[in-house]
Amino acid sequence: MSVLSQLNVIQVSGLTKRVNTLEGSLTILSDINFSVKSGESVAIVGASGSGKSTLLSLLAGLDVASQGEIHLDGEALSTLDEEARARLRADKIGFVFQSFMLVQSLTALENVMLPAELAGDHDAKAQAVELLDKVGLSHRFAHYPSQLSGGEQQRVAIARAFIGSPKILFADEPSANLDRKNGQLIENLLFDLNKQNGTTLVLVTHDEQLAKKCQRIIHIEGGQLEKISEGGAANVG
Amino acid sequence: MWVKLAFKLFSRELRRGELTIIFAAIALAVLTVFSLSAITERISLNLAQKSSDFIASDRRLSSNHAFEPQLLTQANKFGLATAEMLYFDSMLFANDELVLSSVKAITGSYPLRGKITIKDHLTSPAYDVDTGPKAGSIWLSEGLFYTLNVNVGDKIELGAGLFNVTKVLVKEPDAPFFSLSGNKRVLLNYADIPTTQAVQPGSRVFHRLLFAGNEQQLSEYYAWLKPQLKSNQTWQGIKDRQSPLGNNIVRAERFLLLAGLFGIMLAAVAMAVSAKRYCERQYDPVAMMKTLGGSRKVIRNIFLLHLSLVTVFSIVAGLMVGFVLQTIGADYLASFMGTELPQAGFRPWLLSAFIGLVCALMFSLKPLLDLFDIPPLRVLRRNLGDTLAISRIHIALSMMTIFVLMWIFSGEIMTTLILFASTLLIIAILFAISRLLFAAGRRLGLRPGSSWSLALATLQKRANANAIQLISFALAIKLMLFLVILKNDIITDWQMQVPADAPNMFIINIAEEQVTPIKQFFRDNNIAHEDFYPVFSGRVDAVNGEKFARRVSKQEGEEKDKNAKKGVSREPNLTWLASLPEGNVITEGQWFTYGVTGGNDIEVSVFDGWQDVLGLELGDTITLLVNEQVINAKVTSFRKVDWGTLKPNFVMILSPNMAGKVPVTYFSAAKLHDSDTKAISQLLQRYPTISMIDIKSQIEQAQAIIAQVSLAIGFVLSIVLVSGALVLVSQVQASLAERMEEMVILRTLGAKGRLIKLATLYEFMLLGGIAGLVAAIVSDIALLVIQQQLFDVAGRLHPYIWLLGPLSGALFVSSIGYFMVAHTMRQNTQGLLRKLG
Repeated sequence: MSVLSQLNVIQVSGLTKRVNTLEGSLTILSDINFSVKSGESVAIVGASGSGKSTLLSLLAGLDVASQGEIHLDGEALSTLDEEARARLRADKIGFVFQSFMLVQSLTALENVMLPAELAGDHDAKAQAVELLDKVGLSHRFAHYPSQLSGGEQQRVAIARAFIGSPKILFADEPSANLDRKNGQLIENLLFDLNKQNGTTLVLVTHDEQLAKKCQRIIHIEGGQLEKISEGGAANVG
Repeated sequence: MWVKLAFKLFSRELRRGELTIIFAAIALAVLTVFSLSAITERISLNLAQKSSDFIASDRRLSSNHAFEPQLLTQANKFGLATAEMLYFDSMLFANDELVLSSVKAITGSYPLRGKITIKDHLTSPAYDVDTGPKAGSIWLSEGLFYTLNVNVGDKIELGAGLFNVTKVLVKEPDAPFFSLSGNKRVLLNYADIPTTQAVQPGSRVFHRLLFAGNEQQLSEYYAWLKPQLKSNQTWQGIKDRQSPLGNNIVRAERFLLLAGLFGIMLAAVAMAVSAKRYCERQYDPVAMMKTLGGSRKVIRNIFLLHLSLVTVFSIVAGLMVGFVLQTIGADYLASFMGTELPQAGFRPWLLSAFIGLVCALMFSLKPLLDLFDIPPLRVLRRNLGDTLAISRIHIALSMMTIFVLMWIFSGEIMTTLILFASTLLIIAILFAISRLLFAAGRRLGLRPGSSWSLALATLQKRANANAIQLISFALAIKLMLFLVILKNDIITDWQMQVPADAPNMFIINIAEEQVTPIKQFFRDNNIAHEDFYPVFSGRVDAVNGEKFARRVSKQEGEEKDKNAKKGVSREPNLTWLASLPEGNVITEGQWFTYGVTGGNDIEVSVFDGWQDVLGLELGDTITLLVNEQVINAKVTSFRKVDWGTLKPNFVMILSPNMAGKVPVTYFSAAKLHDSDTKAISQLLQRYPTISMIDIKSQIEQAQAIIAQVSLAIGFVLSIVLVSGALVLVSQVQASLAERMEEMVILRTLGAKGRLIKLATLYEFMLLGGIAGLVAAIVSDIALLVIQQQLFDVAGRLHPYIWLLGPLSGALFVSSIGYFMVAHTMRQNTQGLLRKLG
């Protein structure tokens, strides 16, 4: 593996995803190639049904490619089974979802602790307290998701994403379910924490304004990589 | 680390009510099985105990030859209590009066079960004792006192012996239920048999050995005894005895067993539904945990620990509640019956805990495996994994488990198969109906925006889920209808056998010239009585001129060979009658036609049980020997006879042109009240040759058992009703999340609260109505089979449940369903949205 590729925390080559439907095989992604450097922020944009969420799921090892390869922090995902991919996610990846995806039976604090607990981290609580404090929810530790507003739930999700100091953070339309004010707040929080932790951020969105906050923008159209452009934060990184 | 997380999740899920249904389902299964099996066991033990009273023991061995002494010594070695009995007819002599009596000689341990009722004097009150007369003493039934003109304290001769009359014998526990042997009964000490010199080689005597002990001792002894049983020896328990009581007990046990099965089926449905629902509710958290790096092993451990915890808690809770329930139930039954119910053994505890465990494992296994398989990708593709929700394997596994559980619990493959097959039939019909109905609903073109159209649209939209709901509802309704009908049928059937105005005294040995004065006597004393039947004894000597010896000997009682039990070896009591007796049904041929043809040929109608035994066909000529007089009678019909009734039944009924051909005595039955005692004494004094058989106590005992079984059934029915309601609750709860989503959509689209409420009500009414209708139809068909196959009663259809089923189904399901979702309907849209997360 070249020195260059070692610097690339994400390396995607010839990535293709096909699914079988009643009408036959359907190609969702076709021959996608790109790389993401460590600490970089990248937005994946495209219209609905363009395949951007599928790309995110493949990058995070939630799904397997039909063809091509993804290297995450030097590890080829195609060589890993589901358990190994779960381990990889536990060690190196954080997530923020459009629908927050909090466990309803756990409090805000416990939701943040969850990834660390699953990884067997004994320091989970201290980290979670600190992170909730950072997202401004130190007064909401014991609240359940149903007792929090949408913006608060997403802040809990962001705190959860950063526990265990992941190398890469995947965010799927993180502000799409929120009003403008809360959406703005979440976006800022995400980018601030990303910067503070030196995390690589891969963001899926259809919001051009949000995409522009990233250093690079990958445009997906009809399952193909249309172009890669520089975002508004290109010079900052 | 995962253990801490698992406990945390468990406590939260418990608090949020997510585990309540699964907890309640297992607890329900356990408490249902426990309370049913404990109560049925206690009642069975009590019934067996009561029934044992009727043969004065738990088992008895009968023969007309003396038994080898080792049969008794061996029984004692097995820990059984034993008694010996000897029956013979002998002459009693006192005050120049000579009378033939039925003597029963008994050893000191008789009766092993039940009591002997005696009186100190003819006019003093009766009381119970545990043992018979001492050597040298003799107890006589009341009729003998009048016939022999003796009093307590007098001496009488029996054979060659002289005995002191010490008590008036009122009743022995094993007195014949119905026989023509008369009420000239004598109880004698076994040690006095030699003194009487009445038993000589060749004497007509009947030997009986009585045994009492627990079931294990009895079956161990029987295992030892069986290989050496001779053809003239018969082993009998209460169930083998040809009496209404024996039949009723078998039916009662079967009924309670059936009810137990229903409990299991309902619990199983609740369990399968709740396990599936719980696992579905965990799809998102599991997908999330996998996404966050949770390994399959950790996730598996977490949920298996949850299952273990909920299983243990619910089994313990189920046992506790079940114990309380069965204690209350048993106490109530005991106080009602004025008796104590024996405690159940360990079986209910072990059985219910085992069934709880099996339910928890088998019904959760597939949903749990599906849960472990939920792909992490579900966090992005929200419906991924939903296809797993209806798993054929889960259904197959659940069904197999239900079948095996039913089989284990019942130990009867036939009952299990019938119930199971009828359930499968319900499922098939309901799937077809739900498809048809939902398809038809589309074509109905109801006015958009109406509650009915919304209800139908909702039903169509969730066709699969509704089909499952329909099946659960139908199953619950079916089981309840089953119980209601069976309860009605069985109890009515039994009560018909022992109606409140049934005669309680048989009067026999009435001479022809006594018929008119006795009828007059009854009229004068306002005593209700039945017809006077002519009775005579005869032996079947030949068929179509071909003589035959005793071709059938008695079989082992447990082989239930009813033909053999009726026995053609004895001389049957015969009668002639002009009309077919109540409870008899002609199976072949025609009732006597002599009146039409005016012929002189004697015709005979034969009990159909004897048809094969004697190899009879219509038109055959039977030669009867009556007091050495030969009577030839042509077989013109075969009859089915209900031996279960307390009415006199005859194996052979001859045509009325028999009158005057043979000497006869007459037989009647009367309904006597306590106030008639004096009149009866007068009757016996006036006509000392007649005999009276008091069956009042037998009727009372039979009625007490019927009351007991009715109550037991009522109790079982209420448990099944509660179980059924809980199944419905769990089922409706399983669809609550989906309903909430719909409500949010409808409200957001501006639907009025009234529209949603009515639509919900109509939806449940339709579901309940359809489920009830199908349940009613299938129950009725299945019942027809069950009644004929298992209960041996004539099956009949019950049109009223065809209406009752859908009505009660609609009412039951809509009230429970509406109540369940009413809370959801009261919440505002924002609140619902929050809850949906």
